[in-house]
Amino acid sequence: MKLVIQDLQKTFDKKVVLSGASFTFEKGKIYGLLGRNGAGKTTFFNCINEDLKADSGSFAIEENDSLRPVTAEDIGYVLSTPVVPEFLTGREFLKFFIDINQHKITNPQSIDEYFELVKIESEDRDKLLKDYSHGMKNKMQMLVNFIASPGILLLDEPLTSFDVVVADEMKQLLRRIKPEHIIIFSTHIMELALDLCDEIIILNEGILEKIEKENLDNTAFKDKIIAALRGNEND
Amino acid sequence: MINTFKQAFKLRNTYKANGFIFGLKSIPLIKKLLPNSLYASRVLKTFADIIGVLFELFSTFVGKAVYLLSMIISVIQVAKLPSTNTFLQIFFFLTIVGGLLNTHLFNPSKDKYYALILMRMDARTFLLSDYLYFLIKTFIGFLPFTLLFGIGVGLHPITCIVMPLFVCALKTIVNAYALFDSRDGEKVKNDSLPSAIVIVISIAMLTAAYLPPFFGYSITEPVFLILSALVIIGGGFSFAYIWHFQSYLMIFRTLLKPENIMITNKENTSQTLRQNYHKKITANLTLTSNKSGYKYFNEIFMKRHSRILTKSAKIISLIAFLIISTAIIICLLVPEAKTAANSLLLNALPFFLFVMYFINRGETIAASMFANCDHSMLTYRSYRQPKAILSLFAERLKYIVAINAMPAAVIALGLPLLLFASGGTENPIEYVILFVSIMAMSIFFSVHTLVLYYLLQPYNIQMESKGPLYAVANSFTYFVCYFAMGKEISTFIFGLGTILFCVLYIGISLLLVYRLAPKTFKLRN
Repeated sequence: MKLVIQDLQKTFDKKVVLSGASFTFEKGKIYGLLGRNGAGKTTFFNCINEDLKADSGSFAIEENDSLRPVTAEDIGYVLSTPVVPEFLTGREFLKFFIDINQHKITNPQSIDEYFELVKIESEDRDKLLKDYSHGMKNKMQMLVNFIASPGILLLDEPLTSFDVVVADEMKQLLRRIKPEHIIIFSTHIMELALDLCDEIIILNEGILEKIEKENLDNTAFKDKIIAALRGNEND
Repeated sequence: MINTFKQAFKLRNTYKANGFIFGLKSIPLIKKLLPNSLYASRVLKTFADIIGVLFELFSTFVGKAVYLLSMIISVIQVAKLPSTNTFLQIFFFLTIVGGLLNTHLFNPSKDKYYALILMRMDARTFLLSDYLYFLIKTFIGFLPFTLLFGIGVGLHPITCIVMPLFVCALKTIVNAYALFDSRDGEKVKNDSLPSAIVIVISIAMLTAAYLPPFFGYSITEPVFLILSALVIIGGGFSFAYIWHFQSYLMIFRTLLKPENIMITNKENTSQTLRQNYHKKITANLTLTSNKSGYKYFNEIFMKRHSRILTKSAKIISLIAFLIISTAIIICLLVPEAKTAANSLLLNALPFFLFVMYFINRGETIAASMFANCDHSMLTYRSYRQPKAILSLFAERLKYIVAINAMPAAVIALGLPLLLFASGGTENPIEYVILFVSIMAMSIFFSVHTLVLYYLLQPYNIQMESKGPLYAVANSFTYFVCYFAMGKEISTFIFGLGTILFCVLYIGISLLLVYRLAPKTFKLRN
C-alpha cells in the first residue's frame, strides 16, 4: 500500500502554505516530517485528513497497482493537543470506540489488553478522562487511533508531551505496528526523528522533499537537514 | 515619573488601537477589505488614538454625571425626598461603598498586567503615576457635576468642591490600609473578588445610604463637612504612606496572576470556558449505560450532565406546577380572578410561546454537548461520518424532546385545567388545542435548537465562534418569541397555527439535517 500525494496546493488569504507538494509514502516505514514553525505540517495533515479542502492536487491510495480514493477508515490522526470526551472514563471511551469500529477491528482484544498496550495503569482506567494528565490523554488518543488499525497514521508532534519513559514505550509501540502501516510523524525534535524514523521528509516552502542519508554519519546528516530547512534563507 | 506615565499611556493606547483594529477585522464584510498591514498604519493608529482620548474624556465626565443622576438625583426625584441632605446622605455612604469596592489600585486590570508583568516597568513608579492620574481624573470628573447638582439641591459651593476631594481621600485611605494589609504579598486585596467582610460592610453602607432618608434622617451639611475634613486629613497621611511604600512588585505579582486577569487571549478564554463546562460533569461513575455504540455514548453523556439537564427540567416542572396550582386555587377562591385568567388563556397563547422558549433547555444542552463532547469527538474522523452524525443526532433528539417534555407536560395539562377552573370555554376543542399546542411548542423548540446546532455549529477547536449565523439565528428566535408575547390572538387560531407550523417545521428541518448535517456538523477552521 502506498499513499500517493500529487501536487497538493493550499493557500490561506495570500499565504501559500502548500505549493504543489508531491510525495509517495510506503507501507512499513515511519516518515519523519520536519519543517520550521509555520511551515504547514499541520495544514498538510489536515488536507490529507480532509479537515481542510486542498485548493488543488490530489492524494490517493495505491494498492495492487491501482489508485483509489482515501476514505475515512484509512486514516488515523493523532493531534498534538490531545482531545478526548471528558465526561467518559478511559474504559468507557475505549468500549465506545470498539463498539463503533467493531467491523473494522481485525484482531479484537479485551479493553484491559488495550490499556496494557499503552501502559495505562489499572487504577486510572476507570477515572473520568477530564482527570487524566496531558500525557495520559495523549496515550488514549493514540490508542483509539490504533484500535481501528487504519492503514495510514498521521501523528502531529505526538511524543512531545510524554516523559522520557513513556516516550520510549511509545516509540517501541510505533516500531511494532510499523509493518502494517504508513506512519507519518511530524516533529520539531531532530533526535527523535533520526532515532525513530526510516525516512526524513522536510516540508519547506510548500514542498515535500526527502533528505537522503546516503552514507553520512548522524552529525553530518543533521547538518544536511538543517541546511535544507534553511532553504533559500541564505541565498 | 512623568516619563513612566507617558510610556504607560502610550502602551495602553497601542493595545487599545490594536484592539479597535482587531474588532473592525472581525466584522464579516469589513474583514475582507482590511489587510493585516493595518496594524502598522499610522493614520488608523492616530484615529484609534483620538478615539481613545475621546473615550477617556467620555468616561471621566459622562460616567460621573450618569452616576450622580442615576444613583442619587433620580432617587430623590422619584421618592420626592428632601433634596439637600438626602443628596449628601446618599453621596456620603455610596462613596464608602465605592471606596471599598473600586480602589483602582487593587483592580487586576490588563493595563497593569501588560505594564508590570509583560513589559517589566518599574512597579512603584508605574502604579503611583497611574494612581495619581486616576485621582486627578476622579476629581476633575466629579467637580463640574457636584457643583451643578450640589448647588441645584441647595448645597454651599464649598461643600460641592469638598465632595470630589472626599471621594479621592476615602479611596486613598482604603488603598493605604489595603497596602498595609497586603504587605507580605501573600493575601492581596483584589477588587474583582471582594472579601466577605467588604461585601457585608458594603451592603450595610448601601442600606445606610438609602434607608434613613425615607424615615426623614439624613446627615446635615456641617456634619458632612466635619467628616470630610477628617477623611481628607486621613487621606493626606494615607497618600504619604502609599507614596513611600516600597514592596509594590511583590504585592502586584500576586494580584496580577493570569487567573485573576480577564485576558481575552485565545488559549485562556477557551480553557476557562471549557473548565467551566467540565465542572458541570457529574463525577458519579455509577451513572452508566447498558447500551452500546452511540446509544451508550449518548446515555452516559445525558446522565453525567443531569445536573444541568434533567434536574433543572424537574425544578422548572415543579415551579410550573406550583404556579398553575396556585392560579387554579385563586380562581376557585376569588371569583374576580376568573375573568382575567379566562381571557388570558383564551387570548394570550403567544405569551406561552415565550414561556416555552424560556424554559427550553436546548441551548444549554447544545452548549455543553459542544464543550464536553463534540469539541473533542469531532476531531475523530469516524465520529464525523454521515451515519455516525445522524444516529447520534437521532439519539440526542429523543433525549432533548423527553427532557423538555417534562415541564411542557405540566404546563400543557395545567392550562386546560386552569381554563376549566376559570370558567371554561364554549368551544371544548380549545382544551385540546391548548394541550397540543403547548406540547408542539416544546417539541418545536427541542428540534429547533438541536437543528440549529447541527447546521450552524460555529465554533473551532479553540472554542472561538467563527460565524455569527448561529448567534443571529438564536437571537432571532428570541425576538420572534419576545414580540409574539405582547400580541393578543384567539387561542383557537394561534394554537391551530402553531400546531401546523410546528409539524411543518419539524418535518422540514429534520429533512435538512439528514441532507446537510454530515457536511455542516464539524469544527470550523
